[in-house]
Amino acid sequence: MITKEQIILDLQEIFCEVFELDTIAIDSNTSALDIDEWDSLTHIHLVVSVEKKYNIRFNSAEIQTWENVGKMVDSILLKLS
Amino acid sequence: MDVLFEISANASQYSDRNAFLINQQAYTYAAFAQVISNIRTEIAKPVYEQQQHIGLVANDDLETYASIIALWLEGKAYVPLSPEAPEDRNLNIIRQASLQTILDSSEPTFQFPCAMIASRQLEQGNIDLLPKEVAAEADAYILFTSGTTGQPKGVPISRGNVSSFMDAFWKIALEITEHDKVLQMFDLTFDLSVMSYLAPLCKGACCFTIPKDKIKYSYIFELMEDHQLTVALMVPSVLHHLRPYFDEINLPEMRYSLFCGEALPLDITEEWSRCLPNATIQNVYGPTEDTIFCTYYTFERNNSNKHLNGVLSIGKAMVNNITVIIDEHNNILDNGQEGQLCLGGAQLTAGYWRNDEKNRESFFDAQYQGKTERFYKTGDLCRSDSEGDILYVGRVDFQVKIQGFRVELTEIEFHAKQFFQKTNLVALAVTDNSGNSEIALAFETSEFDTHELLAYLKSKLPAYMLPKKFVFVQPFPLNVNGKTDRNKISKLIS
Repeated sequence: MITKEQIILDLQEIFCEVFELDTIAIDSNTSALDIDEWDSLTHIHLVVSVEKKYNIRFNSAEIQTWENVGKMVDSILLKLS
Repeated sequence: MDVLFEISANASQYSDRNAFLINQQAYTYAAFAQVISNIRTEIAKPVYEQQQHIGLVANDDLETYASIIALWLEGKAYVPLSPEAPEDRNLNIIRQASLQTILDSSEPTFQFPCAMIASRQLEQGNIDLLPKEVAAEADAYILFTSGTTGQPKGVPISRGNVSSFMDAFWKIALEITEHDKVLQMFDLTFDLSVMSYLAPLCKGACCFTIPKDKIKYSYIFELMEDHQLTVALMVPSVLHHLRPYFDEINLPEMRYSLFCGEALPLDITEEWSRCLPNATIQNVYGPTEDTIFCTYYTFERNNSNKHLNGVLSIGKAMVNNITVIIDEHNNILDNGQEGQLCLGGAQLTAGYWRNDEKNRESFFDAQYQGKTERFYKTGDLCRSDSEGDILYVGRVDFQVKIQGFRVELTEIEFHAKQFFQKTNLVALAVTDNSGNSEIALAFETSEFDTHELLAYLKSKLPAYMLPKKFVFVQPFPLNVNGKTDRNKISKLIS
């Protein structure tokens, strides 16, 4: 059963890829305000990368709740359980 | 629609890569995203909220493709209007679809009895490619095809239909990546265009279109050579036109060559395969009613290929699609028996647009593998072999394919008869010197000047439906049933 910590590590990797950064430090409170490259376009790119990583599907309503990393993790955990 | 998410993600991931090459001008995914957002911002306004179907002038430019995506992001559907079609025909479609608004990148815009949105003159808006949530049953587009009664009939295709098609397509198709260069040769009023623009957009690849004022087959060949295209969906007519030049054609970068829209002859496919030594060639089949195409057959090099009367097999159903062959009483027949091909499954339209009569004629329910399934009658006579591959025999009616376009000969006859009342006439498809089908009109009269008639037909029918030959046969030969013998007249012409 996957943990929140593992998901955050996975997200770290995905963030680096999507935002084209070598490293990044994120926690539950990290939001689009903290990362320059996080805009509406890269947001969807994030979604699709997460979907591919865990083989899950989100709808528009679910994605709109993703205000910060913590909410993303909760959303992913819910889908995986 | 997952497809929308993929496109939006690609706009971010491949923002510097080209999304389109249109009329020798390249446009990046970033530029595409901006134009989509501008149009989206406009149609998101409350004044358009109740309008589910928006007209789209089918031009060859970035704004037109951006309009499609913008409409889908807002949960709306597009109804393409060909700028080359006669005004009457477009007005008919506007009326049938009850369009109130049309997106038009032309400058100045066309004059239609609708609110015209000049899509090239919109303000720059914020980038917003987040799709609105919409039911799978919501329409993605409505395409109008030739109708037997003189009126074009509308085929609505839903978001669910399109999703199913893309799922099925990726399962039969080669892996397409952001490095691919995909040909889009079709008018947007033809559903083969949908696969041609969606496949590259879903993978971050580049879509190459054809300008309206160019000779298609020649421009296609130039694009393939100059830009090393890798993927192309085409109608067999293109091959007929290119055949005299096959010896000079060598396209080692082509990976994937698909054909649809018309019967594909085996011999010309064999010759074509030598021009593309590294490509997978597939014959795909399907009517507009079953979303783009629904069966496929992969051509085998160095092996025998299934064919009937020289025509390549159309193969088997793609995933989530059903094919059955029926007799005149809608009974499903076994393999090997000849009958009408019917289609069922997730790509099937919910029914013709506001046309219960046509729906009763063309759709029926039958028991299939323990369930009640809805089927569409294609009008194609076929039989399947012992392995389930379908072979095309002929038509049950008077529908023909001209350059891949569906043409009801009776539609042409209808308009000709409007002009020439009380004259016995028939429209026929005949083969020209290149092997392509063209329309001939035969009159049971002495010869007359056909200029006025042709001008009249030009005001009613799209170019591909116009007769290229006029013949005068007195009297018309009759068959054993006392009806006009069209075959005999055909033979007289060729």
